[in-house]
Amino acid sequence: MEAEELKNKIYDFVLAAKGKKKLKEKDIIKGVSADTGEAADVVKKAMREMIDIGRLMYSYGGGSSSVEIPSEEYLREKGLIK
Amino acid sequence: MKKYETPLLDELEKGPWPSFVKEIKTAATKSEMANDELGQLEKSYRDKRGYWKHGGIVGVLGYGGGVIGRYSSLPEEFPGVAHFHTVRINQPSGMYYKTDSLRTILDLWDEYGSGLTNMHGSTGDMVLLGCRTEALEPLFAEVSSRGWDLGGSGSALRTPACCLGQSRCEWANIDTMDICNELTQTYQDYVHRPAWPYKFKFKIAGCAIDCVASIARADCSVIGTWKGKIAVDQDVVKDYAKAGMNITEEIVNMCPTGCMSYDGKELKIDDTNCSRCMHCISKMTKALRPTGEKGASILIGSKAPIVVGSLLSWVVVPFIKMEPPYTEFKALVEKMWDWWDDNAKPRERIGEVIEMKGMRSFLEAIGVPPQPQQVFEPRKDPFFFWKEEDLNGNK
Repeated sequence: MEAEELKNKIYDFVLAAKGKKKLKEKDIIKGVSADTGEAADVVKKAMREMIDIGRLMYSYGGGSSSVEIPSEEYLREKGLIK
Repeated sequence: MKKYETPLLDELEKGPWPSFVKEIKTAATKSEMANDELGQLEKSYRDKRGYWKHGGIVGVLGYGGGVIGRYSSLPEEFPGVAHFHTVRINQPSGMYYKTDSLRTILDLWDEYGSGLTNMHGSTGDMVLLGCRTEALEPLFAEVSSRGWDLGGSGSALRTPACCLGQSRCEWANIDTMDICNELTQTYQDYVHRPAWPYKFKFKIAGCAIDCVASIARADCSVIGTWKGKIAVDQDVVKDYAKAGMNITEEIVNMCPTGCMSYDGKELKIDDTNCSRCMHCISKMTKALRPTGEKGASILIGSKAPIVVGSLLSWVVVPFIKMEPPYTEFKALVEKMWDWWDDNAKPRERIGEVIEMKGMRSFLEAIGVPPQPQQVFEPRKDPFFFWKEEDLNGNK
């Protein structure tokens, strides 16, 4: 699978959970790996690249962290949108 | 410039000890944030409630830890603390600094934040208190360009911490500072990118005196110990007695395993029953000293009372050699993490999962055999691990 296609699958997986479940990194890696057949390491690397450019972000609440779709506020603060 | 009357806080400036109120007031002469911090705190004292909101999505790009979001719930009344995020800076092992590196950090902090610090937080990090969201990225760029990095927060590996170890202490059985540095470097990714159900802390102590309180505060406590006997200089023991020490009361009767005896002439130790607690050595430093092979005991599972009650760490490996690059220890830790990650629900610490699933399941998963030193409570932890196939012949 092309890297960009895999990243789109990861994005869709996180989007589908929005408002329903707080996803840990491992939930995403396991879920997308099962859906696409890609190795866990490959999914992890792609997910991390998405986090590094702000396509996904880490969130935090009640002592626990999760991976989410960034809000407009976050993207604006990071200078990724105007 | 004074902005608020603070009669309740002023009470906390009285007395002989350094006062946090005095420090915040000093910062408030230059910082609007520190000024509004005083105003909000006075209001909290008056109303007997806190006005902080916690958490959220603040941080620096690519990192999931190191910044803890903090907002005032009264931003219009106290605009200076509308954002008041905490930034954790990974401390050097043993908290050693050159004065110029401290000045660099603090000058940057005066420029980008409130100027208030907490040296150090209970995690071990250097804690910078009070940063606005838009100042986080520029502050991080400045700090990281000078060789510093953020510490851990959230459900990540928290910044490893250690006692001063062999740099200042004659009783350190292991090089705590090297172990701390090695773990920090090896597991950077786990510190910066929270991947687990909850937090995980390493604390490394050179001996069982445990100056870093690892047995009460770390998911994984590494505590220096030794395998040989305690060497006794009987002449010096006599000197202690002559100087007025009641050896029977202060040493022998305080021994937790009762392995010592003293007849007024000679101090005897049954080393086979010694638990290496360090009590006698710390009281008679000139007369007693550990001998033989040095290493560490690995304990697991302590925590403060957040989800369930507090726990103390539990001995898992009574003795392990701790020599660079600590390959055996790292392999053990990674097995622990795999088991915890597979079995924990969100916000469950490893000690809580061991309590629920049982030490048997944990020991099997990490490949450590049951040993007498692992018994936490006598008559409760038998450690006879019978399996179904063992019983087949007796059905």
